[in-house]
Amino acid sequence: MLWEPVLWGQLLIHGVMLAGLYGLLALGLNLVFGVMRVINFAHGELVMLGAFLTFWGYTALGLHPLVALPFSAAVLFGVGWALQRLLMERVLGGQPMAALLVTFGLSLIIINVGLLVFGADIRSIPVVSGSLRVAGFVVPKARGLAFLTAVALTVATVAFLRWTAFGRAIRATAQHPEVAITCGVDVRRTRLVTFGLGAALGAAAGSLIMLILPMDPQSGSLLILKAFAVIIVGGLGSVAGSLLGALVLGIAEVFGSFFIATVFGEVMAYVLLLLVLLVRPAGLLGIAER
Amino acid sequence: MSALLDVGGLSTGYGVVQVLEDVSIRVAAGEIVSLIGPNGAGKSTVLRSVVGLLPPWRGDIRFDGRDLVGRPPHLLPRDGLMYVPQGRVVFPLMTVRENLEMGAFLFRRDRARVREAMEWVLGLFPRLRERLGQLAGTMSGGEQQMCAIARGLMARPRLLLLDEPSLGLAPRFVDLVFEKMDALRAAGVAVLLVEQNAVRALEIADRAYVLARGSTFCEGTGRALLEDAQVQALFLGGRKGEGWR
Repeated sequence: MLWEPVLWGQLLIHGVMLAGLYGLLALGLNLVFGVMRVINFAHGELVMLGAFLTFWGYTALGLHPLVALPFSAAVLFGVGWALQRLLMERVLGGQPMAALLVTFGLSLIIINVGLLVFGADIRSIPVVSGSLRVAGFVVPKARGLAFLTAVALTVATVAFLRWTAFGRAIRATAQHPEVAITCGVDVRRTRLVTFGLGAALGAAAGSLIMLILPMDPQSGSLLILKAFAVIIVGGLGSVAGSLLGALVLGIAEVFGSFFIATVFGEVMAYVLLLLVLLVRPAGLLGIAER
Repeated sequence: MSALLDVGGLSTGYGVVQVLEDVSIRVAAGEIVSLIGPNGAGKSTVLRSVVGLLPPWRGDIRFDGRDLVGRPPHLLPRDGLMYVPQGRVVFPLMTVRENLEMGAFLFRRDRARVREAMEWVLGLFPRLRERLGQLAGTMSGGEQQMCAIARGLMARPRLLLLDEPSLGLAPRFVDLVFEKMDALRAAGVAVLLVEQNAVRALEIADRAYVLARGSTFCEGTGRALLEDAQVQALFLGGRKGEGWR
């Protein structure tokens, strides 16, 4: 294709900025999968709820979205905790299909309650506008802000998992729940916190996405597909893998929509999903099932 | 003899399938006790039930006088009871150092204690010192088993429950595992050892129990059971080597 350094650089920057959001979007889903061994089909809806809470804080209370974001994340942490306590604990450890169906049903309920409460209108938070020129490249302020915040939250989460005692408890539970218990980890509490954390990360991702993309109560189902593609491409349960997967998806979407057709950007998630499943089913950095 | 661990009349199982019927086992402080028996006799189930991973249907489990039935399993390291499950189980994506530190998870705020425990277990298993920064899942089976035992010891337990520590290991690691039993005896750590390697397990033990079909079949000193004609005939290959490798 036509080689133009400035154009390609510009596309790359957009791809990486999108990837930052996708990385955060997938992080919560991946964390919950790692610890619970269940794909939370309602993750996209938790993302949407978080986004709409931030939107509400912006319109009703006049809060800057970055100010509303921590509150939205805190509320969703509570929602995630409650879902784990009231629903997931009853089905985890039984038939895997049961847990999967519960999260699927939950997503349908949240979408429809969302439509009822928020209406079907498409909303956005156009609070940040304009762009910056960085080394000859154009960086829209909203995208730059969303990207930097997403990266900061991702780094913070990875550091939390890596270096704090609670993060270590989460990793131990993901790698071997029974041994974690015998080492003194309260696995039940760890799972509650993990589900809460997954929802809170989703809420943060949703709030940031709403800065650059309009959303409606049904947007979650598209977003979870992208998150799902990211963690399958990167490798289920691998945090490093999901960051790599996000990078691949973000860049592929931007290049695909520019060089092939705008709609092709949206197809990329499926294309990558199929490619990886065909060529390397465990994902780029995934470990094959033992 | 006041027992450190006192299991009395324990019956349990999985779902509706009963595995143990009226099992009684005692371990005194500092004592090495082996639990042997054919495959499927329920040896591992005894250990899982003691640490609360499998709730008992009937019976008493007391540790140092405290009733363990219904006690949350994650509090047992604080009581001084550690369990090392079967199959060289490590946290594969954590470094050896992180694995060891997980063993002292409940004592993490007492840094001096963790440091001391670390020096002690690295003295027992010097090989692990060279591997501290390595991901545990990338080590050999024998090294993983050492890591798992060392992790159990990091809590400085008074009683260590070891489930088949020599299973599937190369002969030199099997030797090493049994050698360490003497070191634990010297350190005053009591051990309840489940083993399929019956001769070695009886040789090392102060006392032993033979479990057959879910019940305690007989007990005695390791030496006495080794020489017991009935035990020999049934379990040590006197007639047939069934279940013994």
